[in-house]
Amino acid sequence: MARLTPETVKAMAKELYGYEMSDESAGAVANAAGAMVTNARRLGNLDLAGVQPPFGYPILLAEAERIRKRG
Amino acid sequence: MSHDELLSFDVAALGEAIRARRISPVELTEAYLGRIELLDKRVNAYITVTAERARADAARAEAEVAAGNWRGPFHGVPVALKDLCYTRGIRTSAGAKILADFVPEYDSTVWARLAAAGAVLLGKLNMHEFANGASSTNPHFGAVRNPYNLDHIPGGSSGGCGTAIVARTAAATIGTDTGGSIRIPAAFCGCVGLKQTWGRVSRYGVIPLSDTLDHAGPIARTVRDAALMLNVIAGHDPNDATSSREPVPDYTSRLEAGVRGMRLGVITELTVGTSDEVLDSFRAALKVLESLGAALEEVSIPAIESGIALATAIMSPEAFDFHRRWFPERADDYGADVRRTMETAGVMPATGYIRAQRMRAGLLARVLEAMEGRAALLAPTAGIEPPLVSNLGRVLATPGGGTVNLVSAVLRFTAPFNVTGQPTLAIPTGLSRAGLPLSMQVVGRPFDELTVLQVGAAYERARVPLPPPAL
Repeated sequence: MARLTPETVKAMAKELYGYEMSDESAGAVANAAGAMVTNARRLGNLDLAGVQPPFGYPILLAEAERIRKRG
Repeated sequence: MSHDELLSFDVAALGEAIRARRISPVELTEAYLGRIELLDKRVNAYITVTAERARADAARAEAEVAAGNWRGPFHGVPVALKDLCYTRGIRTSAGAKILADFVPEYDSTVWARLAAAGAVLLGKLNMHEFANGASSTNPHFGAVRNPYNLDHIPGGSSGGCGTAIVARTAAATIGTDTGGSIRIPAAFCGCVGLKQTWGRVSRYGVIPLSDTLDHAGPIARTVRDAALMLNVIAGHDPNDATSSREPVPDYTSRLEAGVRGMRLGVITELTVGTSDEVLDSFRAALKVLESLGAALEEVSIPAIESGIALATAIMSPEAFDFHRRWFPERADDYGADVRRTMETAGVMPATGYIRAQRMRAGLLARVLEAMEGRAALLAPTAGIEPPLVSNLGRVLATPGGGTVNLVSAVLRFTAPFNVTGQPTLAIPTGLSRAGLPLSMQVVGRPFDELTVLQVGAAYERARVPLPPPAL
């Protein structure tokens, strides 16, 4: 599992969104986030090579049109 | 007609009876409101009961039908919505303290379409806070209870929907599903849940958990009722650019077609890691389908095991982004488990999200390969029977005093099909020895809800129905 320390988690939460995390939470989050970071790395090893981002230009255009009409 | 008789009809039967004026929407609505009054203190399915609104809707429906203006199967039928769906002028809490007083100024498209079809709104249903969990043990509005055993969870996040259907405190409901939240409560409560193809139903006015995984859809008493509801809510919506322009068929059109000669795949990986009782019930359901003439084949999809990791990598940052409007400033107003998911998501690297989004097509390709020559795939809906009500967050308590992990025991079975966006139907297969519901899911090709419903309906006609809970 990736090594993400509680101290790092606390510092990231403070830096990224100004959140003061308790020691207890930081320990649990370090474990959970560490596992998720490992998962993210493993995803790259799966033979599921992605292609394009799944949400294409037609949706982008339609959403822009909706926002434009809304004013 | 007695209230018990009125409550015994599914939507399909009610629609015909109301059209023929054999059932009065006003009497029917009073029967449901009476049932809510009698039972809801015990099962806690409702956050808000809209009794006066329901009576007004019912009176209007009755007058319209009497004047010869029957709008369709939902005209005068009492329904309820997960409290994630906007209802103009009616509180929409998302099961959260943060939104406990939020009153939307417009309707979600799913409710607008049901209202236009003449449905009667009974109220808004309890759920897991912000749909971010699968137990429906809500810290702000109380735990929803399983109608078959009040000590057990109904599943979630649309727990109130499953409970209301089986407790007969609503004739049909709308839930939402991001990692299994329609199918899990349908499985744990013993009713039908349909997560249709992503984009088939508008998400406009539905409070998001994860935009690219969220689906709104029916939790209902029967497969036909789910199909009837999909007929009403499916179709493109200009307010939701991601809603599909695929044509909307009549979803009831193949319910009687049967499965003779149909090839169905059983997903090998999802028959591993279940309890013995889940597997026995699933195998018995497969035998029923075989007896109806379907050809069943084991099919291995190793990539299916990546589904939960992909779903988590996508769901966490999408949810966190939405919640930045309240988090961390109102961190203390979240329940402990949802707060923890926010804390974790807040320190996740963006690369995991991007990589997972790109890999969705790869997973879908693998599943579609496995479907070549096969009409649908089959798997248990959950690996376990409903756990006990507890406040353990993502760890759930079992009757033997142990615990089980929500991810490996439940979401592993359902979340892959949120990642692929495929239509998936959960249907009860029986009761465990402890009297708790068990369930199977039928997975189809994108936009092929017709086949999923066809398989479900054939099985439903042939299986032994679940006995009603002793409430």
